[in-house]
Amino acid sequence: MLFEHVSKWYGPVIGVNEVTLELRSGITGLVGANGAGKSTLLRLATGQLRPDLGVVRVRGQHATTAAAKRRVGYCPEVDRFYEDMSGRQFVEAMTRLCGYPRGEARRRTGEVLELVGMAGRAEPRLRGYSKGMRQRIKLAQALVHDPELLVLDEPLSGIDPVGRAEFVALFHELARRGKCLVVSSHELEELEKLTDHVAIMARGRIAAVGTLAQIRELLDDQPLSIRVNSDQPRKLAGDLLRLEDVVGVELGTEDALVVRARNPRRFFRAFTGLVLEEAYDVRHLETLDDSAEAILSYLLGARR
Amino acid sequence: MSTEQRIDERGVRIEGETIPSGPSARLGAPAHDSTPSVWRMWCYLVWFSMQQHARARQMVWMARGLLIITVATVAVNTANGRWTMAYRREPRWLAVNVPGPTIAESLHGVRVAEIPPAVLGSTPAAGVHEAIWASAQAALDHSGLVVFSQGIVFSVFLSFLLPIWCLSFATEALGAEREGSSLVWLLTRPIPRPAIYLAKYVALLPWALVQTLGGFALICAVAGWPGALAFRLYWPAVLWGTIAFCALYHLMGACFRRAAIVAICYSFFLETILGNMPGYMKRVSLGFYTRCVMFDAAGQYGVQPEKPSVYLPVDGTTALLVLIGLTVVLLAVGMVVFTRTQYQDVA
Repeated sequence: MLFEHVSKWYGPVIGVNEVTLELRSGITGLVGANGAGKSTLLRLATGQLRPDLGVVRVRGQHATTAAAKRRVGYCPEVDRFYEDMSGRQFVEAMTRLCGYPRGEARRRTGEVLELVGMAGRAEPRLRGYSKGMRQRIKLAQALVHDPELLVLDEPLSGIDPVGRAEFVALFHELARRGKCLVVSSHELEELEKLTDHVAIMARGRIAAVGTLAQIRELLDDQPLSIRVNSDQPRKLAGDLLRLEDVVGVELGTEDALVVRARNPRRFFRAFTGLVLEEAYDVRHLETLDDSAEAILSYLLGARR
Repeated sequence: MSTEQRIDERGVRIEGETIPSGPSARLGAPAHDSTPSVWRMWCYLVWFSMQQHARARQMVWMARGLLIITVATVAVNTANGRWTMAYRREPRWLAVNVPGPTIAESLHGVRVAEIPPAVLGSTPAAGVHEAIWASAQAALDHSGLVVFSQGIVFSVFLSFLLPIWCLSFATEALGAEREGSSLVWLLTRPIPRPAIYLAKYVALLPWALVQTLGGFALICAVAGWPGALAFRLYWPAVLWGTIAFCALYHLMGACFRRAAIVAICYSFFLETILGNMPGYMKRVSLGFYTRCVMFDAAGQYGVQPEKPSVYLPVDGTTALLVLIGLTVVLLAVGMVVFTRTQYQDVA
């Protein structure tokens, strides 16, 4: 799947801004705060929306074409079904709407329901399903025509921990078979269990793509927050401010202070030298944002 | 899918091969001829949409309620023998608060009171008088179709029930999917959007036709002989009117989120106002052409516009061709609109 300089406006508001992104086999996490443009990007990927600028292609075909849609399975975030149908009827209907004859549709429905753990529970009407069961049905209909690309909008939302583990295993299995999965979430912690390859969206743009480590490296120029507990916090704060990479120090309660520094590796080298030289008693050292969430927060420009 | 790629032992994708095994691969392994077919999916979408219509919604129940009320009203009129001009007053008012005589009273007066006995006794004069009276009475006896047409078919059925019944189904075809946010399931299937639009239209037509033609048949059935004759004459107009109105309201469903409200406003304001405008303005109204088909069919029975020189009806063939042509145009426009519209409210 290829996004080429894609922009999408909702009237005066820009939903996706000049996005260029290529997705290949494996799992890509799409992460961003609410309103960052994740769902718009996914709806462009599934051909529901047309870009105002640029083009979205699936194996060379425009995403809005039927040929492209045949290669894409979509699990939307929206939790609406034909509520009078049973889970099995719904998945079978979606299969037949992919053009399969009845017998084949039944066979595929049975298999995919088993795959998502709904084989024995798909007979009641959808309106009585729990959130987790509905998520499973949504995933089943996305998988049923065996697409190459799976676009999953918040697929783990509402699933219990056991179910999550099953889903994560299933996603890994699909990725292992060469499928391309795009999984969106606003919780990086959730995505970290699934993949280390993420695309971070902020204000309609792809702010960063790559593994978390690669992104981290790209962020060397971004401030990093570190909490330090020391016997002489005020004196330490003064010394820290003299270091080249420190951009700010905030005194906390009692013996704690929070230092914000650029270029983490160079800062830690300098900090270690300072502590040894001045014989500070450092009781606790913690990087507050050396996590994927912090990367996201930095990229979004949020203050911590 | 199953014939386009496979993954080798190292996880490398190879083009032009088949997927060997595994849960996902099983889904791609056909047991028999399972090649997806666009025609098959379109036919299934028609069937699927028809089933959705079977789950009657509020508007459809309202339509059925209106049918019951209309049938009851017609039945009462039939029981009281009201399908005749005998009860019409001509002139309507003699003076302020003094209604004119009914046609039956006037005829009775002509026969009994107003002929001088000397004239009445004359055999040729009596014969002419009898002939005039008998022809007037015969005209009165056969006025049932005109009265039923004007009182029920044109003023109630065509102006009110037919549009309401059509919009009950036609606006729901896409409107219900949009309101229920279930349109996303159709838009992400590998079906071209014009085909979805057309399938939805084809699926709604049987329901709408059962409602309009069936309802019209029921109303006519309880009206006695004028009803039976009216159904025989008017059913083609009802059929084509339904097809054209449904195409229009289906287009509204593609254009507006609250299509039923827009369609009701259109029916009761634009159709009514334009349909009763003198001159050529009314020719943009679907109801006008439906009515013209009816006038053409029943012209031999004296059914015509109140003031033909003002109403300016077109002949039946022209009206029918216009209805068919408008249906085709509305469907084509609808397909374009549905294809180009990006429904941001569905997912």
